[in-house]
Amino acid sequence: MDSKKILIVDDNADIRLGMHLRLKANQYETFFAADAFAAVAEARKHRPDLVLLDLGLPAGDGFIVMERLKQVPFLAVIPVIVVSARDGLGNQKRAYEAGAKAFLQKPVNDDELLAVIRRALGEPAGTKKPTLYDQGSV
Amino acid sequence: MKEKALQVLVVEDNAGDVRLLREMFKGEKPGSFELTHLLRMGEAEAHLAKGGVDITLLDMGLPDGHGLETVRRAHAAAPNVPLIILTGLDDEALAAEAMTQGAQDYMIKGQIESRALPRALRHAIERHRMQTETDLMRTHQMEFKDEFLSHVSHELRSPLTAVRQFVSILLDGLAGELNPEQRQYLEIVLRNVKQLHSMINDLFEVSGIQAGKLKIDLQSTSVSDAIAYTVNTLRGAATAKGIVLPADIENTLPSICADPARVRQILVILADNAIKFTPQNGTVKIQARIFEEDPAFLLLEVSDSGCGIDPDKTERIFERLFQASDRDAADHNGLGLGLYICKDLVTRQGGRIWAKSAPGQGSVFSVTLPICSLPALLAPAFSEERHSERPITVVVTEIGSQTGWLSDQVRTDQCRSIRELLRASLYSDLDILLPKMDATGPGEIFFIAAITDGIGGEAICNRIRRQLDNSERLQQAGLTHSTSYRSLEPIKQNSIESKEAFLERVAINIQDLMNEEILARQVRNG
Repeated sequence: MDSKKILIVDDNADIRLGMHLRLKANQYETFFAADAFAAVAEARKHRPDLVLLDLGLPAGDGFIVMERLKQVPFLAVIPVIVVSARDGLGNQKRAYEAGAKAFLQKPVNDDELLAVIRRALGEPAGTKKPTLYDQGSV
Repeated sequence: MKEKALQVLVVEDNAGDVRLLREMFKGEKPGSFELTHLLRMGEAEAHLAKGGVDITLLDMGLPDGHGLETVRRAHAAAPNVPLIILTGLDDEALAAEAMTQGAQDYMIKGQIESRALPRALRHAIERHRMQTETDLMRTHQMEFKDEFLSHVSHELRSPLTAVRQFVSILLDGLAGELNPEQRQYLEIVLRNVKQLHSMINDLFEVSGIQAGKLKIDLQSTSVSDAIAYTVNTLRGAATAKGIVLPADIENTLPSICADPARVRQILVILADNAIKFTPQNGTVKIQARIFEEDPAFLLLEVSDSGCGIDPDKTERIFERLFQASDRDAADHNGLGLGLYICKDLVTRQGGRIWAKSAPGQGSVFSVTLPICSLPALLAPAFSEERHSERPITVVVTEIGSQTGWLSDQVRTDQCRSIRELLRASLYSDLDILLPKMDATGPGEIFFIAAITDGIGGEAICNRIRRQLDNSERLQQAGLTHSTSYRSLEPIKQNSIESKEAFLERVAINIQDLMNEEILARQVRNG
């Protein structure tokens, strides 16, 4: 089976790389966008199975990206997970209203991120090696 | 430059005393003082409310006001105008008490030296001005500090998150196998990052607490889940010190009404402290059971076999930045904020926290949290603090059978009961909603008014619905949640309005809302 494709949209290069490494280790193929404009362009080009979307972006914000994705039938069906450092309550509500599948508050725990991705993709619960940090054993 | 005359309001009903007072200003430069003389408290209040008065001289025995009441009224009419009490020799004690009610000073009639009065007035005004300025500055400083702390801790978190993420990527071997030495060093990095992280979180939390921005989402919460999480999180730290960390949980415990994330936070702080202060090979235990003294609460206990705390310090340890001794601060790398945060979180969720300990005997930290019930869910929305500080939104939700509607008589009674409910809520901890619902017979409608900060309305209604679904007792009583919620415009308490008056206004608003709803139903049902 082909590995699933995930588009990572975040303006912070370190976060993009960190997510990429973690996702690659769990057999996902990744693509990147650093601003709202590139997000829609990359989504058209690669037709990912899932989008991880930061809210604070150059050239528009995450909400605008969701709106634009909704306007294109073959992009509208892609599940979006919002990953944001913005304060929860209001943004969370707005994100769900805009059609997000999940809202994760940064800093995101890797295990939680993977679990949410699997759920959104309809995959069975995974077997990722949990990190030492997340286990609290360090 | 000609100085503006100081406006002095003299409230005194004795013409002789007024004459004497006027005499005392004779020696002053013309135009430096301007006296307005009034005989009654009512007139004085109106005059003060208009503004322009620099200082008030107040006699406490007036035809329409007496004693401390006059001081309170004068202060309420113009809180920023300094007040000097004029009193007879026999009333000196009362005058001294007036100082606690907002008076700046008092002077005893017949003992005022003629040149002293104008000077005393100038001093009182100056002192008052400086006090006001200091207060204002302090408020600004506190606000700035909280904002600063909040901003800094927020900004520090992102880079630290990246550090944490990449170290854990390395440790998980995603960038190739590590040799044992590399692994050991990275684990040291990670341990320190974790500590820094928790300090930053503490700072963030405290700035939130100070600014009153802390969010607590009350819901039905499993204590055993929270304990299991805590044990998992801290097992590593415990094992490293040879400490056994058993969790003794009854499976049959009822759920509590709390924010699950906050309960985990409380337990982690307490258990983490316990591990820190317990020597090698000691024990730390987390237990939970129904609280014997009040079965409406669950008791959580974190006990250790550690160094213990001086009994006379078991209360002070919950203060901000308190460390039992300087040595502790050095040895245990904390900011001294953990227990302060714990106490705030527990209190906000309607519980209590305390410690029992003796040096060398270990410590037991006890936390009570309310068992999940409808009144417990609503209680924080009725807290007194909320009434005085913020505008409120009243959410009215309706519990009742789906059939039929109630008579006018019942409706009036319901409105009355809402008023009683609100009134009682101000002073009690509101364990009255559920019994009231219980007493409601089949076919009757029961309104619940919940006061929220404007966003929780729908959530509260959903929780009420779930509560009803879960409660056999209430279902037997024929109660269902039949309509969605409606909210009023935020209502804010005026500064001059008493709590009772405010409450009355809220009750009237709710009544209007109900009447509207009733009318709408009648129209719908023809």
